[in-house]
Amino acid sequence: MKYRVRHLTEYEYGSKVNSCYNRAHILPRETLIQVVDTPRVVIYPTPITGSRRIDYFGNRVYHFSIQEPHTSLTIDVSTEITIRPRANDFGEQLAYGNTCEQVSQGLYGVGCSIETIYAREFLLSSPMIRKSERLQSFAASCFSEDKPFLTAVMDLTHKIFDEFDFDPAVTSVATPLDEVLTHKRGVCQDFAHLAIGCLRSLGYAARYVSGYLETLPPPGQQRMVGADASHAWFSVYSPGEGWFEFDPTNNSMPTFQHIVTAWGRDYSDVSPLRGVVFGGGSHQQLNVSVDVERHHD
Amino acid sequence: MSFPSNQSQQAQQSQQSGMAKLSDNYQPLDNTYDEASLPSGEIRDHWRFVLDNLKALDTDSLADRESKTQRILRDDGATYKSYTERERTWQLDTVPLVIDGEQWASIEPGILQRSELFNRLFNDIYGPQELIREGVIPPEVIFSHPGFLRPCFGIKPPSEHALILHGIDMVRTADDHICVIGDRTQAPTGAGYALENRTVMTRVFPSLFRQAQVKRLAAFFQTLRVKLNSLSVDDKLPNIVVLTPGSRSESYFEHAYLANYLGYSLVQGRDLTVRNGQVWMKSLSGLSRVDVIFRRVDDFYCDPAELKSDSYLGVPGLLEVIRTGKVVIANPLGSGILESPVFLKYLPAISQALLGEKLLLPSVKTWWANDPEDQAYMLDNLSKLIIKPVYRQQNQQSILGSQLNDEELKDLRKIIRQKPLKYVAQEYIAHSHSPSWQQQKFSSRPTVLRSFTVAGESHYSVMPGGLTRIGKTADDRLVSSQHLALSKDTWVLGKEPQRHVSLWADKTQQLLIDSEQEQNLPSRVVENMFWLGRYAIRAEYALRLLRTVFLQLNDADQLSDESYRTILVAVTSVTETFPGFAPREGKENTATILFENPEAELISIITDLDRTGGIVYSLNEMLNCADEVKVLLSADTQRVINDIRDNVGTLEHTIKTDFASAPEEALDPLVTSLLALSGLINESMIRGFGWRFIEIGRDLERAYQTTSLIKSLMSPVLNEYDEDATLETVLLTLETLVTYRRRYRARTDVINALELTVLDNSNPRSLNSLLSSLKQHIDAVPARQYSRSLTLEKRLSLELLNKIQLIQPVALCKHSKTDKRREKLFLLMKESQGLLNQLSVVLSDIYFDHTEVQHQVMAASWEDEL
Repeated sequence: MKYRVRHLTEYEYGSKVNSCYNRAHILPRETLIQVVDTPRVVIYPTPITGSRRIDYFGNRVYHFSIQEPHTSLTIDVSTEITIRPRANDFGEQLAYGNTCEQVSQGLYGVGCSIETIYAREFLLSSPMIRKSERLQSFAASCFSEDKPFLTAVMDLTHKIFDEFDFDPAVTSVATPLDEVLTHKRGVCQDFAHLAIGCLRSLGYAARYVSGYLETLPPPGQQRMVGADASHAWFSVYSPGEGWFEFDPTNNSMPTFQHIVTAWGRDYSDVSPLRGVVFGGGSHQQLNVSVDVERHHD
Repeated sequence: MSFPSNQSQQAQQSQQSGMAKLSDNYQPLDNTYDEASLPSGEIRDHWRFVLDNLKALDTDSLADRESKTQRILRDDGATYKSYTERERTWQLDTVPLVIDGEQWASIEPGILQRSELFNRLFNDIYGPQELIREGVIPPEVIFSHPGFLRPCFGIKPPSEHALILHGIDMVRTADDHICVIGDRTQAPTGAGYALENRTVMTRVFPSLFRQAQVKRLAAFFQTLRVKLNSLSVDDKLPNIVVLTPGSRSESYFEHAYLANYLGYSLVQGRDLTVRNGQVWMKSLSGLSRVDVIFRRVDDFYCDPAELKSDSYLGVPGLLEVIRTGKVVIANPLGSGILESPVFLKYLPAISQALLGEKLLLPSVKTWWANDPEDQAYMLDNLSKLIIKPVYRQQNQQSILGSQLNDEELKDLRKIIRQKPLKYVAQEYIAHSHSPSWQQQKFSSRPTVLRSFTVAGESHYSVMPGGLTRIGKTADDRLVSSQHLALSKDTWVLGKEPQRHVSLWADKTQQLLIDSEQEQNLPSRVVENMFWLGRYAIRAEYALRLLRTVFLQLNDADQLSDESYRTILVAVTSVTETFPGFAPREGKENTATILFENPEAELISIITDLDRTGGIVYSLNEMLNCADEVKVLLSADTQRVINDIRDNVGTLEHTIKTDFASAPEEALDPLVTSLLALSGLINESMIRGFGWRFIEIGRDLERAYQTTSLIKSLMSPVLNEYDEDATLETVLLTLETLVTYRRRYRARTDVINALELTVLDNSNPRSLNSLLSSLKQHIDAVPARQYSRSLTLEKRLSLELLNKIQLIQPVALCKHSKTDKRREKLFLLMKESQGLLNQLSVVLSDIYFDHTEVQHQVMAASWEDEL
C-alpha cells in the first residue's frame, strides 16, 4: 500500500519572533513494515540551520533554527510511504500467544533477550505517564494470569473505547491521566496515554506511537483534504513475540491504514515540535492539517 | 586578676606534659578514627609539626589568626548560600587537615582508577550500553534515572576522556580504611573553594605553611587549563567561558573565582547565543565565538530547546551545536546520572566489566530498594541506615534513619515500597574526626574530604588534598555544605620543600592580554558596570542632599516657611520619590500633613527597601550590579562593597536611634564608603571598557543630579533671604559652599552660583566638567558601525556640552517681578535632563544585551515532576 502524506503546521504569533530553535518529530521513521522515501521538508522563513538525525528511540528528528524576524512559521512535510500490512491482523488468533503470566515473568530473569531488556524501559513511569493504583484497578478486570495476553490488551482497548468519549474540546496537550479517568473523555493522545499507564501499572511494557491515519471517505464523496489530524496509539511488548499495536480511539489493531511517525515513552519524547522562540508575545495560534492520500499506481 | 583563665591553665598544663598530646580536653572518641591522635591521645607523627606550631601560639594569637582568616575570606567576597538561608561568608577552620604523603600516595591509585572508571561508565551509558546488554547492571538503573538524558545519547566525546572534572567524597572508617560516600560529576563544586582555602592559609600561616612542605595545588589547575584549551576544535587560541547560573547560585563565588584564576570570561546563559550553528558570546565589540564552555550549570538546565524547556539558565540550541562538535562543554551534558548512588552497589562488577580490574577504592555499602532483597533489608534495618534519593534535588536531603521516630519510620517504609526505584540506603559510617579550633579550644569534628581529579592528556591527575569539610558539632552525623559545615584546607605533606608552580607556566599557550580580554566582556557585564556607576552616584547624591537637609532642618529658626517648603519639595523631586512633598495638583492636602511632620517621609526615603529613588533602594541595586561584575572588582573594591552592604543592613537602626539628635551623622559612614569606592575606581581600575562604562554611568548620573538640584532649588524665585537657604542646599550638596564663600564673599546669589555649578571647569562637579568628561568617555568607546557622521550617542553628548557651555547666566536668570520661577533656567535644565535620558537609552540600545523574552514552543508542565 502506498500513501502520500502531507503534514502542514502553521504558527501565527501575536508579535514578531526574532529567532527560534526547534526540534521536530515530523519525519516518519522506518519500521519493519514501513518504507519511507526521502521526505521533503519546506520551512518558511528559511532556517539558517537545519539538520537531520536519528534519536535515541530510532526516530527521525529534524533540528532547525531561524534567525530572521517573522510573525508566522510554516512547516510543510511531504512524504511517500509504502506499507506492508502488519502481521498482527490476526482477528481470532489473538488467543494463541503468551498468557499474561508468561509475559510478566518473561520480562525479567536471566537469559532475557536484548529486545526484552530494552523493552523494560517502557515499563517505567515516564514524564507524562505516572504509574498508579488507580490505573491498575481500572484495567485489572481485563487481565488474569492464564488469559492470553493480547486478548487481554484487546479487552482493555475495547474498554477504553466503550467507556470514554472522544472529545477534542476537553483536552490540551498535557491532560493529566487522573483527569482523563475522572471525566471519561479525551482525544487519541489521552487514550493512548491511558492504556499505556494501565499496562505499565500492571507490570507490562508499552510505548506511545504517533503517526497518521487514513480516513476513508464516505462512499461517493471526495475525501476532505486536511480533515485528518495527527493520530496516536500504543504498542505493547510480549517477550519472544515482539511489539503489537492497538488503537483505543478506533477500537482496533492497526493494519495498513496507520502510518507511524515516531515512538517513545510518551508524547513528550516525540512531540511534533518543541523548542524556544524569542519574542512572539505570549499569544500564538497553531494550525495543523494532515492529508493522507492513498496512492494508486 | 590573680586567677589564670581556663585556657591559659590548659596551655600551661599541656606544655608541662610535653608536646605529645594535643590538649588535655581533646580526647579521641571511641569507635572512630582520629586523624591527629593515636587512641592513647598521643599526636600522630605527621601531625606533630603542624600541631606543635599551632599549640605554641597562645590563645590570643590563635584568635587573631582566626579573625584574620575571617577577614580575608570576607574581603575576598568568599561566600556560600545554602538553599534555605541567605548568603554567608565561607567558613574556614584555622587547623588544616594534615595527610601523610606516603599514605596519600597509597590512596591516589584508587582515586585515579575511579575517575577512569566513571569516564568509561559515562561513555558506555551514552554509547554502546554494554553494561545493560551484558546484564552487569539492571537496565532500570539507567532507564529510571531522570539524569539519563536521552537527547544526549550518541554524542561523540571530543576526546577519550569525556569526564573532565570529577569530585569524590571520601571518609576514613574507624578501622582506617578510606571509603567513598559519593561522586560529583556534573559541575563538581569545591575545587575553587579549596584553592581559596589554600590562599587564605598561606597568608595566615605563611611560615608554617612553607616549613610543613605542603604539596601545591597550582599544577592541578594548570592541567585543567591545558585540558580545556585542548578541547577546542580550532588550532587558534580558544575562547573559553565559565557558564554560571548567576549571582544567586549557591557557589557563585567559586564560579567567579575560578573564571578569574583561569583567565576565562564568566558568563550566564543569556550572555551566549547560538547563531548559524555556533555558540557566540554577546560582547561589547559584537559577537565573539565560543569554543569551550566550562559549565557550572546543571545538565537539565543547559538547553531549554531540548532539555528543561522553561530554563532561563541555559542557551537555546546549545545541545545541537555540541552534537556537531562545534563547541565542547565540560563536563559533558548528561553526566549527572553518574552521581546516582545506585552505581555504588554495582561498582565492583562495573569495574570488572569495563576495566577488567578489581575496584581499588571501596564505596559505602549501598542497597537499592528496587532490588527485592535489598528492599527487604532496608525495611528491616531502616533505623540503622541513611536513606538517600537516587536523584539529588534541592529539596531532597539524605535522611538518617536513627533520627526518625516510629511514625516517621513507618511513613518512610511506605514511601520506599511505593517508589522503590527512587531510594537507596547506605550504611552509616562513623567519619574519622580531626581537631578543629572552635571557641578558643581544640575540639574534635567529623571529617569528609572531597578530592578532585582532572583529565590530562592521557590520564587523570589528582589534586593533592582537596576540600575538607567538618561537622558543626562533634556528633554531627551528616556533613555537607548545605548543612552549614565548616571547611578546612587539606595539607598533603611532601618529602621535600615544594617548588612553586605558576599557573601560567605553560609556554604553549599565549595568554589573552588585558585589553583584548576587556573587549571581550559580556554585554551584561558592561551594562552592570554602567548601572553600578549610576546607582552609586544616585545614592551618594541623595545621601548628601538628605544630610544637608537634616542640618538645615535642625537649624529650623533660620528657614522661612517658603524656603522650608521649597527644600522639601526639592528632596522629593531630586530623588524622584513622588508623590512625597510634591503631590500632583489637586492633592496638595496630602503634602500639608507631611510638611508639618516630615521625619517619617525622610526616613522612608532613606530606608524603604522598595522605594525607587530612595537611598537603600539605590544602594541595593548597586550591590546587585556589583555581584554581577564581581570578577572585575579588585580585592580592595570588594572590601568597600562589603562595608556598604554592612552599612545598608544597619542603616535603618542607626538612623532611627540618631534621629532625635543628629540624623545626618548616621549617613556619614555610607558617604565615606561611596567616596572610597569612587577613589578605587579612579585609582586602581584597569582603563578598559568596564571602567569606561562605569565612568559614563557616573558622569551621566552626576550631571543628571546636578541639573535636578538646579532645577528645583535655583529656578524658583524667592526673596533674597530664602534664596540664601535654597542655594545653600545646592552648594552644600555639591560640596562647593566653601569655595563659593571664598570666591564671592558676598551673600549668595543665583548668578554666581550658576557660574560655579554650571560653567566653571575648575570645579570637577560643574556641569561643564562633567559633560566634558562624559563626552571624552563616549568618544573613546568603539563605534559599532563605521560612519563619517557622528553616531547618535556622540551627537547627544556634544549637544549637551555645547548647550551648557553656551549659557549666559545673567540672561538665563532674567525674570519679572511677578514670575514665580526663572523660566529659561528651568527649561534649560529640563531639556538637559531629557537629553541625558535619551543618551542613556541610546547607549543601552547599542551596547547592552536585550535578550527578549523566551517562550516555549510547547508548554511542558510535566517536566517539573522529574
